[in-house]
Formats: sequence, C-alpha cells, structure tokens
Amino acid sequence: MAVGKKDISCPPEAIGTPIKEEDLKKGKVTYYEDHPDIRYAWTAGQAISRFLNELKKGRLIATKCNECGRIMFPPRIFCELCFKPIDDWVYVKDTGVVQTFSISYIDPDARPLPEPIIVAVIAVDGASPKMGIMHILGEVKPEDVYIGMKVKAVWKDEKEREGAITDIKYWKPVG
Amino acid sequence: MIKMVFNEKIVNPTELRHWEGKIELYWIYTSGKAGDEFFKALKEDRFIAAKCKKCGKVYFPPRIYCEYDFSETEYVDISGEGTVRAFTVARLDKDEKPLEKPEIYAIIDLDGTDGCIIHLLDANPEEVYIGMKVRPVLKDKSEREGKITDIVCYKPS
Repeated sequence: MAVGKKDISCPPEAIGTPIKEEDLKKGKVTYYEDHPDIRYAWTAGQAISRFLNELKKGRLIATKCNECGRIMFPPRIFCELCFKPIDDWVYVKDTGVVQTFSISYIDPDARPLPEPIIVAVIAVDGASPKMGIMHILGEVKPEDVYIGMKVKAVWKDEKEREGAITDIKYWKPVG
Repeated sequence: MIKMVFNEKIVNPTELRHWEGKIELYWIYTSGKAGDEFFKALKEDRFIAAKCKKCGKVYFPPRIYCEYDFSETEYVDISGEGTVRAFTVARLDKDEKPLEKPEIYAIIDLDGTDGCIIHLLDANPEEVYIGMKVRPVLKDKSEREGKITDIVCYKPS
C-alpha cells in the first residue's frame, strides 16, 4: 500500500535538531502558532444553481445548444463552442458509463482510509458523448471496476436531500 | 442578428445558490536554534546578535552560521537600541478599518549589528524621521512568552 511512514535517510550534514511535542508544551523551545480562519463563498451561477435544485428533486438536468446540438452536462449557461447562450434545458438519465476512475486509499488530509474509495468520471446517458461528472462508485470492489462499466445513481432519501452533489450517495454497477 | 440572451428567461434570484467553504490551516513555526536563543535571552532583558567568527559580520536576527563564508557564528550581547532606517504610518488596520491612533511601522538598524528589526514605533507621526535614535520597550518580565510581541514597541530614546 502506498501509505504510511517511510524511513527516509538523509546525509549527516542535513540532520537538524529534533524536537518533540512535549518540548513545545513545556515551553522548552520558542515557537509561533496560528490558526487563521479562512472562509469563502462560491456562487454557483445560474446553470449550476438549477442543477443543484434539480438534484433535490432526484433529477439530473443538462442544457442544450441548438446550433451545435450538444446536450451539456453538467449544465452551463453558455455554449463555449458556438459562443452563444444556450437554448434549452433537458433532463438526462441517472445512468451512465465510467470513463475513467481512480482508487484512493487516503482522505483529503492524506490520512489512510479504512476502505478505499473509488472516484470515477461518469458520462451520463442522454447527454452528449463524454459529458459527465466526477463522483464515487459504490457496491463494487476496486478490482471489478473497468472503463466502460455501466452505472446507476443511488440517491439519498428525498427527505435527506439538500440540493448538493452528495444527494447522490454513489453510483453502482448495473446489468 | 442579435440573439435573445437566454439568461433573461430564467432569472429568479431566489433560485440562485452558493457554496460556503472553510480552509483549515494550522501551523507551529519554531524559532530555530538561533531564534530560540534570542527569545530566551529577551526573557532575561538581554538582546543578542550572532557574530561570524571569520568575517566578523554581526547578524540580527541571530543566525547559526554566516551566509557569506559558511563559518560558525557566536552570540554577542547588543543593546537593542537602534536607528530608524525607514518607516511607514498606517492609518488603517489589516481589515482596512480606520485606526483611532495611527500606527508607525519602522525598520530599525540595531546598534552594533549589520541587521535590523521591523517593529512598531510609538511616537508622534509628525516627529519621526529617518536617522532617529530609538530604544525597545519590553513587556513586563512575567508576561513574556518568547515571542516578538515581548517587545511592545520602540520609542524615541
């Protein structure tokens, strides 16, 4: 497994002065500590706002450009190929095909996970080819996942949904 | 031909969403060997600098080796007093709120060293000048904690 403490050797001239946590607690060494409070708000924009609100209803929504005919998912308000505002909203299915995936043994803080999570890019059925989202796969072993695997969204209970991408718990294999 | 902007068809501000986030950051920055020596000396009312054993350059803040000839340094006592090299008068705080009393931040060349310190200067902004002689004001001995804030400010001497 690619996690855990490694024995890293270094040349003698690079050896510093080791300190322990208790040296800090007992005030043996002087130090400066800080815990800055960094907050931000990210505005979702019109297209993603609608996308999130539709998730609460258990639906996936995309946008369509009549000029190039593409159905874009996740939805955007502007067609970047035709350089014009989109023309329509269309619902897409909550099934799709795994385009690529990664098996992660660590969490966002690089701490080992008890069970690995599988992160995948899923092209959603009903949208134009290769249009999809990144999400996690469930009810499948890491060794059984393959590119091209058909998957279906597993939704949270309607009461628990809050209009977030996590309203879909994970995607499970079908067929 | 001008196409109708699609945005106009759907705007309902109450439907717009945002996402809030927080970036977790926490750090402990140790003073290092020489920095540690400095802050511990400061607790005992002493100021120290580090003098290169070979070229004689006097470092402030103290360093454990000379960055010009890589030779060792030795700690030397200094007065802590100095001369204003440059200063700026801040009338806003770091959140850009007006300050009741302007704060003066100065670069102070410390006597007997080749180094300097950046610190608050407690003086009348109209009376500060480059070349002004200043002295440090330390916190009460019992309140010192081994930080740069153990020096409350500098004052004209």
